[in-house]
Amino acid sequence: MKQTPMILAAVLLAALATAAEIPAKKQSGPIAIVGGTIHTVSGATIENGTILFDKGKIVALGSQVDIPAGATRIDAAGKQIYPGMIDSRTTVGLTEIGAVRATNDITETGTVNPNIRAEVAVNPESEIIPVTRANGIPVVITSPDGGAISGTAAAIELDGWTWEEMTLRAPIGLVVNWPNMTINHAWWERRSEEDQKKARDKQLNEIRGAFRDARAYMQAKKSESQSGIPYHKTDLRWEAIIPVLEGKIPVLVSADEVQQIETAVAWADQENIHIIIVGGYDSWRAADLLRAKNIPVIVMPVYRTPTRRWEAYDDPATLPKKLWDAGVRFCIAGEGGASNERNLPYHAATAAAYGLPKGEALKAVTLYPAQILNLADRLGSLEPGKDATLIVTNGDPLETSTAVEMEFIEGKQISLTSRHTRLDDKYLEKYRRLGGH
Amino acid sequence: MATLITLRRLALIALLVGIAALLQAQIKPAIGIRQNTPAVHAFTNARIVVSPGVVIDKGTLVMRDGVITAVGKNAAIPADARVWDMTGMTLYPGLIDSYSDLGMPKKPEGGRGGDGPPAQPAAEVRGMKHWNGNVNAAQRAADLFAPDAKAAEKLRGMGFTTALVVPQKGIFRGSSAVVDLGDGTANQLLVKSDIAQHVTFETGGGDDYPNSLMGAIALIRQTALDAQWHRDAMKVAASNPSEPRPEFVADLAALEDVLTAKEPVVFESTDELSLLRAAKIAKEFSWKLWVRGSGSEYRRLDAVKQAGAPIILPINFPDVPAVQLPEDALNVSLNDLRYWDEAPENPARLQKAGVRFALTTATLKDPGTFSANLRKAIDRGLSADAALAALTTTPAQLFGIAHKVGSLETGKIANIVVADGDLFAEKTKIRETWVDGKRYEVKPKAEIDPRGTWKATLTQASVDTLSIALKGEVESLAGTVSSHGKDSKATTASFNDLRLGLVFNGDSIGMPGIVRMTGTLAGGSLVGSGELSDGNVFSFSAARTAPFKAEPDTSKLKPPVMASFTPVYPPAEFGRAKLPDQPASVFFRDATVWTSGPQGIIEHGDVLVERGRISRVGKGLSVPSGALVIDATGKHISSGLIDCHSHSAAAGSVNETGDAITAEVRIGDIIDADDIAIYRELAGGLTVANVLHGSANAIGGQNQVIKLRWGALPEEMKFEGAMPGIKFALGENPKQSNWGDRYTSRYPQTREGVEEIIRDEFRSALDYERATKDYQSGKTKIAPRRDLQTEAILEILRGKRLVHSHSYRQDEILMLMRLAEEFGFRVATFQHVLEGYKVADVMAKHGAGGSTFSDWWAYKYEVIDAIPYNGALMHDAGVVVSFNSDSDELARHLNTEAAKAVKYGGISPEEALKFVTLNPAKQLRIDKKVGSIETGKDADLVVWSGSPLSTYSACEQTWIDGRKYFDRAEDRLMNAEIAHERAVLIQKALGAKKGGDDKTPPTSKSDKPRSWSEEDYSGKDGE
Repeated sequence: MKQTPMILAAVLLAALATAAEIPAKKQSGPIAIVGGTIHTVSGATIENGTILFDKGKIVALGSQVDIPAGATRIDAAGKQIYPGMIDSRTTVGLTEIGAVRATNDITETGTVNPNIRAEVAVNPESEIIPVTRANGIPVVITSPDGGAISGTAAAIELDGWTWEEMTLRAPIGLVVNWPNMTINHAWWERRSEEDQKKARDKQLNEIRGAFRDARAYMQAKKSESQSGIPYHKTDLRWEAIIPVLEGKIPVLVSADEVQQIETAVAWADQENIHIIIVGGYDSWRAADLLRAKNIPVIVMPVYRTPTRRWEAYDDPATLPKKLWDAGVRFCIAGEGGASNERNLPYHAATAAAYGLPKGEALKAVTLYPAQILNLADRLGSLEPGKDATLIVTNGDPLETSTAVEMEFIEGKQISLTSRHTRLDDKYLEKYRRLGGH
Repeated sequence: MATLITLRRLALIALLVGIAALLQAQIKPAIGIRQNTPAVHAFTNARIVVSPGVVIDKGTLVMRDGVITAVGKNAAIPADARVWDMTGMTLYPGLIDSYSDLGMPKKPEGGRGGDGPPAQPAAEVRGMKHWNGNVNAAQRAADLFAPDAKAAEKLRGMGFTTALVVPQKGIFRGSSAVVDLGDGTANQLLVKSDIAQHVTFETGGGDDYPNSLMGAIALIRQTALDAQWHRDAMKVAASNPSEPRPEFVADLAALEDVLTAKEPVVFESTDELSLLRAAKIAKEFSWKLWVRGSGSEYRRLDAVKQAGAPIILPINFPDVPAVQLPEDALNVSLNDLRYWDEAPENPARLQKAGVRFALTTATLKDPGTFSANLRKAIDRGLSADAALAALTTTPAQLFGIAHKVGSLETGKIANIVVADGDLFAEKTKIRETWVDGKRYEVKPKAEIDPRGTWKATLTQASVDTLSIALKGEVESLAGTVSSHGKDSKATTASFNDLRLGLVFNGDSIGMPGIVRMTGTLAGGSLVGSGELSDGNVFSFSAARTAPFKAEPDTSKLKPPVMASFTPVYPPAEFGRAKLPDQPASVFFRDATVWTSGPQGIIEHGDVLVERGRISRVGKGLSVPSGALVIDATGKHISSGLIDCHSHSAAAGSVNETGDAITAEVRIGDIIDADDIAIYRELAGGLTVANVLHGSANAIGGQNQVIKLRWGALPEEMKFEGAMPGIKFALGENPKQSNWGDRYTSRYPQTREGVEEIIRDEFRSALDYERATKDYQSGKTKIAPRRDLQTEAILEILRGKRLVHSHSYRQDEILMLMRLAEEFGFRVATFQHVLEGYKVADVMAKHGAGGSTFSDWWAYKYEVIDAIPYNGALMHDAGVVVSFNSDSDELARHLNTEAAKAVKYGGISPEEALKFVTLNPAKQLRIDKKVGSIETGKDADLVVWSGSPLSTYSACEQTWIDGRKYFDRAEDRLMNAEIAHERAVLIQKALGAKKGGDDKTPPTSKSDKPRSWSEEDYSGKDGE
């Protein structure tokens, strides 16, 4: 029945390389992966190539690479090498069991929480982490959610002893949830039109007000050095917004409907800040505006039903293609959750099934998120100088049946086992004893 | 002004008092002086519409003591009659509002489920009421009625003199009554009681049973059976005094006439599918069915006609959709647009189809809009005679009161509408309405008409003579004052109580400033005084120099704008004019055929379909002549995908949470054939879905296997011959672990309790079976009450109903198998069964199938050990495994879900695809007909652009029964057609009303929230 010994071999290989989910050791010497097909993503694909990395960074790659003496050689003949995929919106590390309140650290009380920092609550012991990385996703953006301003998101490497060690970069962006701009007349909406408008205006004012107050705070604090200007007491909330006002980090604006997107863009223009649209269901309807303002979209998720009865069944799947055609920068995220973020590559593949070129689909989960989230100096493609954060597979990682056989984060070969493989092994043993297998 | 208005009101009151109160108490002793004004009236010179189509152009109508005594061209006027000259007036029979809540106790507010505050405490129960507060069959409108003068006046203003009043509480609401809309007491106004029993599908929400549509239907069905049992048991008990005494339930006793079809049942429908549901129930029990309609009947006109029920029809037409800005319009569906465009034609289309209907003001937010909507319906094709019949003779016949009301004939109640023209014409005014021979003014025709041209002679004013021209309506005069060839338009011109009031600016006619005049019309001349701007007073008298001459109506008749598009099924988006054809033979050529059968995967294979069945599968088959050839070169073909766990195509909640055991509720009662999820799932290659009850209850409701025959009626979607089944649920959901802090008292709260409550049901079913046998063998005289809940359970024990049990943990999975074995049956499938891999050997031995998620986990505590290897491990242990969706979204790509069995556990691609084709078919016991591409099976086929297991593949065609229900190329055309229809209707809406900013009330076709399933009770999308 088990017809792919390759997968078993790969699991065994990984298991040998690193014992069950123990964080990997720092790269201790140069490693050369030899003989595989190297998908650089940013440049040409190299058949039968070599990729050499040391001290966590890619040193060289090509069909002719000098391998230093003492380097570990890994034979990858017949294998495919890709940069690790990046999931640009998740709650990985902040939640364990959705329905068990005690395990959730996603939504702080209140609506304006810009000072909340995702990275400080990432639980390295989360069972979701090994499950996610095992499918070729070594880095995720972990994010708080809820309210009007949820806090800041962080880029997290999915291997390490502590959250500090795992934090690749933080803050990555400030998370803002744009209120619904349209009145919902559906039967399941219990609020009146007036109540909906009030709720919307309240949330809008919270967002607008917060940024105005933060700007005033920034100005007041900056002018403290001038004579006659008194000291201003600390406001953690507004301090957290200052990096946005200074153009150091973007705002990740959750917005699906075209009115949300348009008003968010106008607001960003007014505030002179950089935003990224997250969700972006209607973003293709505002493509000209987004392109003109150079605002990228994190498409999330591709697997969803159309929100309007009259829309084409495949509208969510053709969205990336439409953005690509229109010249809007985009990348593809998964479901914005935790437990099944491992399915990120299939969201991208579905966009390809519905028109996006396959190469673009791959970029949408590697290079594009790195570029959009200011991580391209380290991630997103296989280039000298970038992190040796990569995967070795037996096929196209966007195909379900493909297995990730090896994975490196900053040159460390990480374990590909998880609670799932452990339980699989345990019960395989049960049936072995019963004589079934 | 203020003074004038007050005076006018006083006059009105005086008039009302002046005419004798005809409805004299017959029983109550007189208080004070008796009032005995004669009640004999003769209307002369009237145009009399005796009944629809029967008109006397100029005739006389005589009434005496509230009853019409003569009608005719030359009817004799009794000497004692008061004569009313009705020149210019048309008399109509008083209109009947065929459904009203007038005078009924207000509808109780519904409670809420979830974490909201608990519902209001139940009212004290007295008397022999039904155990369920929704069964109020013994309520009688006649008992509940309290006259509502204000509401009655409003209805009279539109010509209504009579109404069917209906109690408003519950699912069984009790019997309605016909009352007249006069001023009297309830005793006097009642025309006839116990017209019909009223039944709704409405539940109060909240936590009490039932709180779902399917629960409401189950309660109706069980109540029907209970009423039969109650009647029979009472009879038997009367002659067998030693038998245990049956309970007396007034609400069941009240249904006896319904059982014999002596008393009709009026179902209150909410849309056309709801009407068909009502028809199905009525047919089941041979009830005499009437329906209170919804206004959307035209959307399934043939089926509605076939239902054969007279309809009490509302004319509540939707407002203009909000489409002003393109962004606003995005959220208005084509369904909303079409409904707005088409609904006003509903009455006309019903008339044309020959459906019998009576009209009602019911469901109108403002009943005052009835007349305008009726005119709209007439504009859109309803004949005036049909409209009048629907308001007079039809309801009179339906309600069995045609000998009393509905026409102006001798012997009938003197309920009469007096209008100054054709009743349904826009400019016509209803002048007065007579109820039981009593006159009620609406807009009475002025007895004296001041209009015309008057010449006034003034004394002590700056001019000596004025010419005064009075035009317009008497109630709203337009006045012009002229002198020396100059005119001044009056700012006020009023005529009340024979007094003319005039205010005008006299600057241009030699009377500086604002001039005010009042004159009394008496004996043909006006005499009065006025005040100049300087405070000086003048007097005047005036005589008419020319009579008023109405200006001819020059406004052109606008041709009505009819609905823009022809019907499609289902209505609006992605509907078709008819079901896809079934070609005699279809030949799919040169594809990679994944048969899921003994032939395995055939490269370059052909499939021949004949009359909806697969007839040949293989390589190089010959094409029969006349066959439709589908060139599938380079494509892949699989059997139609089957989802063993779906909640698509269900109307209302899929959980009846009012009880922990709800075996009596049926998903089959609530199939929503218009659910857009059906079309979207077809587009993902799905052809069959097992639509299940949710997992809120240890024993939930009965499932329904459907084929996704998009466009068909709900009954036509049902999978013929599919074995009946039922949903069970184990673990956190039935024990309410994630329902919120309020839910800690319903039994069960533990997994042990789940086992015991199921065991209790099983034992009770065996007891029930024994009791039935005892009765059949004559041991007992009173038949056991038929209990649909227990009967469904008994069917499980007797192997006639499949158990599909929601489950996660291995302990509960094992428990249910052992429990089933104890009672001698096998569990058909465990649903989700995420720890099935831990007891797969037991499952295999027991024979239970595993219908699991491919990879869901970690959303709740009991799925902490869920692993994606579950499917493979169970499969390898010999369990028949399927991957299900439990989601309208996931159901669109079950093929790539199957690929996860290859990824996690190394199942071969051929076997993996069976997880979504043959295996679910086996689990549902429909594998003789579907699930694989084999000769003789239904031609349920999917054409894929590539391997069905590839994430890069897309579904290109989906065939069911040899009919192509989805085609990607056709879908593109449909999208273009939808865009076109939307554009046309948006333009129409923009033109219909400036601004177009009225909101459209949501129709039942609004989209559901994403992945509507059992999430309410689990804390995670789906399950």
